[in-house]
Amino acid sequence: MMKTFSIGGIHPSDSKISKDCKIEVLPVPSKVFISVAQHLGAPATPIVKAGDTVKVGQVIAEPAGFISAYVHSSVSGTVKSVGPRKDLAGNNMTHIEIDVEGDEWVEGVDLSDTLITAIPEDNKAILEKIKMCGVVGLGGATFPAHVKLCPPPGKVADCLILNGAECEPYLTSDNRIMIERSKEIVVGAAIMKQVLGGCKTVIGIEENKPEALAAMTAAVAQLQKTAKGYDGISVMTLKKKYPQGGEKQLIDAVMGRQVKSMGLPIDVGAVVQNVATSLAVYEAVQKNIPLITNVMTITGDCLPMEKQHNYKFRIGMPLSYIAEVAGGVPEQAAKIISGGPMMGKAIANMEATTVKGSSSLLYLTAEQTVRGVESACIRCGKCAEACPMGLEPFLLQKYARHNMTDELEENAVQDCIECGCCLYSCPANIPLLDIIRIAKGDVIRIIRTRK
Amino acid sequence: MTQTIIWTIAILTILGALLAVVLYIVAEKFKVEEDPRIDEVEKVLPGANCGGCGQAGCRAFAQFCVESSPNLDKCFCPVGGNDGMQKVAAVLGVEVAVKEPQVAVVRCNGTCENRPRINEYGGYQSCRVKAALYSGDTGCSFGCLGCGDCVAACQFGAISMDPATGLPVVDEEKCTACGACVKACPKAVIELRNKGRRNMRVFVSCVNKDKGAVARKACKAACIGCGKCAKVCPFEAITVENNLAYIDFAKCKLCKKCVAECPTGAIHAVNFPVVKPKPEAVPAAQKPEAAPVAENKPKEE
Amino acid sequence: MEKLLVSPSPHLHTKTSTKSLMRDVVIAMMPAVIVSVLFYGWSELLVLGVSVASCVLLEYLITKYLLKKPCTVCDMSAVVTGVLLALNLPATTPWWVVFIGAVVAIGVAKMTFGGLGQNLFNPAIVGRVFLLISFPTYMTDWTRPQGFIGGGIDALSGATPLGAVKEGGIAAIECLDYSDMLFYNIGGSAGELSAIALLIGFAYLLVRRVIKPYITCSIIATVAIFSGIFWAINPAEYTDPVFNILTGGLLLGAIFMATDYVTSPMSNVGGIIFGVGIGIITMLIRYFGAYPEGMSFAILIMNSVVPLINKWCHTKKYGR
Repeated sequence: MMKTFSIGGIHPSDSKISKDCKIEVLPVPSKVFISVAQHLGAPATPIVKAGDTVKVGQVIAEPAGFISAYVHSSVSGTVKSVGPRKDLAGNNMTHIEIDVEGDEWVEGVDLSDTLITAIPEDNKAILEKIKMCGVVGLGGATFPAHVKLCPPPGKVADCLILNGAECEPYLTSDNRIMIERSKEIVVGAAIMKQVLGGCKTVIGIEENKPEALAAMTAAVAQLQKTAKGYDGISVMTLKKKYPQGGEKQLIDAVMGRQVKSMGLPIDVGAVVQNVATSLAVYEAVQKNIPLITNVMTITGDCLPMEKQHNYKFRIGMPLSYIAEVAGGVPEQAAKIISGGPMMGKAIANMEATTVKGSSSLLYLTAEQTVRGVESACIRCGKCAEACPMGLEPFLLQKYARHNMTDELEENAVQDCIECGCCLYSCPANIPLLDIIRIAKGDVIRIIRTRK
Repeated sequence: MTQTIIWTIAILTILGALLAVVLYIVAEKFKVEEDPRIDEVEKVLPGANCGGCGQAGCRAFAQFCVESSPNLDKCFCPVGGNDGMQKVAAVLGVEVAVKEPQVAVVRCNGTCENRPRINEYGGYQSCRVKAALYSGDTGCSFGCLGCGDCVAACQFGAISMDPATGLPVVDEEKCTACGACVKACPKAVIELRNKGRRNMRVFVSCVNKDKGAVARKACKAACIGCGKCAKVCPFEAITVENNLAYIDFAKCKLCKKCVAECPTGAIHAVNFPVVKPKPEAVPAAQKPEAAPVAENKPKEE
Repeated sequence: MEKLLVSPSPHLHTKTSTKSLMRDVVIAMMPAVIVSVLFYGWSELLVLGVSVASCVLLEYLITKYLLKKPCTVCDMSAVVTGVLLALNLPATTPWWVVFIGAVVAIGVAKMTFGGLGQNLFNPAIVGRVFLLISFPTYMTDWTRPQGFIGGGIDALSGATPLGAVKEGGIAAIECLDYSDMLFYNIGGSAGELSAIALLIGFAYLLVRRVIKPYITCSIIATVAIFSGIFWAINPAEYTDPVFNILTGGLLLGAIFMATDYVTSPMSNVGGIIFGVGIGIITMLIRYFGAYPEGMSFAILIMNSVVPLINKWCHTKKYGR
């Protein structure tokens, strides 16, 4: 019996069209624009100015708070300007514009393919390296990794869960790295496991990725045989169900524990990291490579097979450039999404650039994505059935439309994970999540001010 | 038969009397002592319960007035206006300062023509939802989003969306300056400004803080922060900050010098009396900033 | 692609719509409709036609001219009400009585509350109960019209089995065989004709995930247990469980009317409470009440407590 989370969930078609496309390396453009807001928390503070020369991997912005991260240059060249530029959503954000000259890396970076399996012993040094290399969670939230790997005093991690579920339809980048970089991911997992005090480690992968499952299982077995520090790592097959990759759902599926409302995973002894984060940790700790690259999927039903790609990109590349390299934006695309179709962001501005957490350029046709006209709620309860948090979206949206914050809090609007299952499943096309998301923000603000 | 009727009447009468006694006792026992002036103040309030005064409703405001009496400086009911506050002051037997009447002003002229749409919004038609998602369907990330949250927030039916421009229009007759629209607008486009002498006002109809070229590219009617208006203003009423001019309504003397100076027509002058155009005057086509003046004229009585 | 479309996530949507759900319900009712038309012939076709046509027309007229709202006829909910109403009437009902039933169902029970999603009571049942009280003679005229096949082979002519029990005690139905009830052989409303046809519809609804089985199953289980206890105590006076489940429109009500989204509780636990309530009230009316069958009244009564059930029965929340 394959495991999965216990409440709600939906089964959209997984559409992993590009799952067999090997990872290709994107050529570096002549100019990059690196955003200082590549992570959850405070945007980093730029430490370079126009005219400075930078190398690949050089720090160009420093964290501006506890929850913040270093940003490194992804290219070598000259800083042309530091100033506002429109991001994905069209809002102004400080970007560092760099003219590319050559490809010269900073000192101490190991660019070879050799796998380093021996894990350094000093946990403090490891954490420092993860922090200095600007590693953030690549599962979507881009939460700084080193913060997550330091449980608050009094809390002990029982289980490190590596998220390889990739439950979002269309996305295949995690699938590809699990196939092509499986050993590196396992080493990264072992490093994080050691930092967390040697807890057990489970790599959760959904059943629709048999190749990744096989590759990861083999990598774990081989490393356990040949190197030290790899005990207690196992691969778990999970039933396909969205949103399996949600932190709280994954903990429920793997450990059978549920995080309390407004609580953190560490409260139930869990730490969840994405497989891509694990790879970034490996590169940071074993190879001294800062997080300046990631893998993104170029896909969509309207793209022919030869234009489906999994690209290794560098941060700061304009999306329009990537789309051009990949063969152009298809005529039928009505909406372009960065991220998965369930939780990703619709791109308003193709001149925006890639960030650490970029995971896809997904082209959806009008037929697929245009919402139907909203009609009356028929109280079918399909939203409540689909909600993985066991909430009642039909009720929440009603309260939210009337600003009834007390009732909203009573009915746990603050627990909403914005997975989109409710809006997906509503037969009356009621914009449930649009409304609930705003109400959730309001209620969380009220709760915070109360404390 | 007769007996039944008599019994019924008797029982019901006794029951009624008993319950009346119970009600009387309960009402006496649980009586809440309240300042009787609160009731009196509440009577002279408009009863709109809009919250424009910052209190939860008219009764809460009445209580607040009574509590803060004799100093009513912090109490102002925008709906009742100065007249209403005079009545409140009379009830409480104190003096209250006269406040300048205000009106809601929409500071965006990003009409469909001035500010072309560069993408299409397909979510829930709410400015808050839209603002939380992205910068909006035009190149301007500061201006009106056009989903009408202000219209929904107005309890007095004073705001409506103009389908031709996609912008909200304030009905000055109905506007009570309660500030609900100001709170509802996620882009802070709407501002409460002094009504001005005979309703005449001069204001910058733009909130774009982008650099001039960027702002101009997004919207033909944007303030580009050139500062010409500030230089020409004889009363130092205009400040330019973050590439955006702002006219302080307390200092503005309605000379309209800035209106003619503005290269993009971002400064609007409304409700000024019509100046009969002389035949030798500059053709209207060269003075686009005159257009809003003309538009707003019919409103004046 | 001219302008990019931007909207909040999620960007994909289910193919299921209000219309497709209603269409599925209509499809699920088709076996019962076909059986009734085959056995009751033209008169049943007339009842069906008048019922559906007047429900749809009334909804159209009311939304367009009275409420001045966008027309909601396309969501097919009026069709569902029309078919359900027809299945709840005897095949011999005159057309104008059917029309009055439709007026009450759509005009009073549905649109006065604000249309689909707002009504407290199931429109078809309100229409049916209104007719039952206003025109009892037409509503209990169980003479069987000539059908396309098998006309007049009623095992128990002139009355419904439950009506016969009410009048003549349990001896009146000794000639009845369960297989008669299971297939097509009992008198009553058009939809009561064949339990098998209704169960096929039930299976379809379950397979298409239109409804969940909780309400239907809890009604049937409650009726079985309730009547089982009484029957075990005194089989000479009380009818047996299988008889009670197969007659009196119980299956029709349990499958198609009690499960109406709008008028049933949203949670599974609520659904079970709702079903148990319907089962008990039905059996109380049947055993001790004035009417031979109590399904419609039971559903109406339980409809009225749905808001309360919804208030107390919430879903199981994650981490709480």
